[in-house]
Amino acid sequence: MDQALMFVNAYLIPGLVSGSIYALGAIGLTLLFGVLRFTHFAHGDVMTAGAYLALAGVGLFGLHPIMALPLAMAGTSLLCLGINHFFYAPLMKRPSLVLTISSFGVALMIRAAIQLIYGVESQYYVRGIQKSREVFGTFRIVDRHIWIGCSAVALMLALHLLLTRTRLGKAMRAVSDSPDLARLTGISTTTVIRYTWVIGGSLAAVAGVFLGWDGYVHANMGWDQLLPISAAAILGGLGRPYGAMVGGLVIGMAEELSSYPWLGGDALLSPGYKTGVAFAIMVAMLIWRPNGLFGEKVR
Amino acid sequence: MKNRRFHPTAMTAMALPLIVALANPAAAEIRIGSLSALTGPAADLVKQVFGAEQAAIDEINQAGGILGQQVRLIPADTACNAQVGVDAANKLINIEQVAAIIGGTCSGETIPAASNVAGPAGVLMVSPVSTSPEITNLNDRGVLFRVVPSDNFQGVYMARLLLSKDIKKVALTYVNNDYGVGLAEAFRAAFVAGGGQIAGDSVHEDKKESYRAELATLASGGAETLVLFAIGDSSGLTIMRQSLEAGLFQRFAVADGMKVSALLEGIGTENLEGRIIGSVPTAAVGPQSDRFKDLYGKTDKFTFGYTFTAQGYDAAMITALAIEKAGSTDRRAILNAVRDVTNAPGEVVGPGDWAKAVSLIKAGKDINYSGAAGDHEFDGNGDVGGVFSEWTVKGGELVVSPPVAAGN
Repeated sequence: MDQALMFVNAYLIPGLVSGSIYALGAIGLTLLFGVLRFTHFAHGDVMTAGAYLALAGVGLFGLHPIMALPLAMAGTSLLCLGINHFFYAPLMKRPSLVLTISSFGVALMIRAAIQLIYGVESQYYVRGIQKSREVFGTFRIVDRHIWIGCSAVALMLALHLLLTRTRLGKAMRAVSDSPDLARLTGISTTTVIRYTWVIGGSLAAVAGVFLGWDGYVHANMGWDQLLPISAAAILGGLGRPYGAMVGGLVIGMAEELSSYPWLGGDALLSPGYKTGVAFAIMVAMLIWRPNGLFGEKVR
Repeated sequence: MKNRRFHPTAMTAMALPLIVALANPAAAEIRIGSLSALTGPAADLVKQVFGAEQAAIDEINQAGGILGQQVRLIPADTACNAQVGVDAANKLINIEQVAAIIGGTCSGETIPAASNVAGPAGVLMVSPVSTSPEITNLNDRGVLFRVVPSDNFQGVYMARLLLSKDIKKVALTYVNNDYGVGLAEAFRAAFVAGGGQIAGDSVHEDKKESYRAELATLASGGAETLVLFAIGDSSGLTIMRQSLEAGLFQRFAVADGMKVSALLEGIGTENLEGRIIGSVPTAAVGPQSDRFKDLYGKTDKFTFGYTFTAQGYDAAMITALAIEKAGSTDRRAILNAVRDVTNAPGEVVGPGDWAKAVSLIKAGKDINYSGAAGDHEFDGNGDVGGVFSEWTVKGGELVVSPPVAAGN
């Protein structure tokens, strides 16, 4: 294989795909942090829940994974609203550490419920393999990667329009900047919080479905992605949705590209250390730029 | 697959007797722990092994129990993870107060559980699954036995198998845990010593979403065969799928961890036709394995013939026999009884012979358990010799060839 082609096919495209998935997960994490001021550790398991809801759609109605997305998004939004109503809302007045710890508990509950209902085996949306197709006569890409990339861009664009062009988006940004000031101007924080859960949950569901589509569906799949997703959110600056988009792509690309043989011969970094790359970026950011690339001030 | 996806009612029904059992502590019972990775990357396989252990315990209970008491098998989930495994072993030993442990399953959980928890407490562990070579010389204070052969043997078997098929150049990738690393080390040494060439050799991290970078690097060495030591419903599945999609390797040489239904169903046997060269520690064929088949060939407790189910059954039987021989649940006495009941000399007992074994022990006779998966003559390290089979996918079916003895 030609060196440039190998770079695109084996490093760049996978990096973009996992970057898109991280970004979708990180946006939810960061939006929730902005509005609720706590790190939602159950977010990875919310992704898993979305993936399994889509699996139900695929299994029951024979849907294409893309067509199962609305079902997964709606179901996951309901799940998030339920979690918020029963677990987080009653704790809202307590220190944010209490909420953070309780989100660990919620994560365990979601995972255990999934294992109880669906079992512990790995499952999949589409049986068999999908041969890659040639694009422009040279690059090889699998159909689902085109779907994943395009859907991720479309969703991010939709989020951008929502945040900049609608009253809800403005209210969300206002609450994120200063909850007290927002309340004084008559914004209902409860409503904003609910919509934030719907948006964050829906995007997490999409991330989960894509993750399961590209690999396999497993009860631990979301939890295992929590580290790169947190790294992406921190890289972009917690509370900054645009930062999370860039952060996700950067983490995804960095993981894949770090093992490209840049100096010729062997991989620059053994692919066994991919997870370490996300972790190293996160630690470095926390030390030198704790507000992230797009953060402005220390909170 | 469909019938496996939705069974909440079945799960509830299965949980009910469990709840009843918990709410109703029996007066006298023997408690045996099962340290098993019931969730996590090896769950598909371990679920079946646990089913076989439970089948053995049920059989013992029907034949009168151990020391005249009913036996309860108490599972503790390790998630195929070292930390969770240590916690689970602690729970079994200190809270559940089990007499002995069947397990662990993943080598990465068995090693710390034996050396840090069961070893100091002097509690017997009989593993039906852990194949890592590390276990042989582990400082476990003599508590850890296993009824599967070390991967030292499987690595050598795989190397010889490939060389015998005139495959001299391979790429090698293995999952970064005790299982993958141990197997790879044994394979690498034997394959190179036998004149083979390893063009591309890399470890990979479990649970990642893409292995295309690793595969590109491995394929650049020019080998047509990829030796893939991983678990088939985790990184092994992803690697094989991505490699087939990119058309990178012609054949895959894989070990026991890949012989799982998630892989065969997920990728589809039509895509694997003639592409798999597999090895698996297997049951020796003989009167005892025939007897096991008579007893459990049509059982609904586990899938007969599934990887390591015969070993799971044997591990449970050996644990139970050791307790019976010890005459009490004294942990030290149980440990000392293991070799008495499994190693020659002695009258041979096998699957289905519980009542006979008990009467022989009561009569003061020496017994020699010869199980569904082999004779199980433990050496000084608690290891057994192995029997291996080659497996492949042919005509849309999984085909397992007759076993070949190796090791010890």
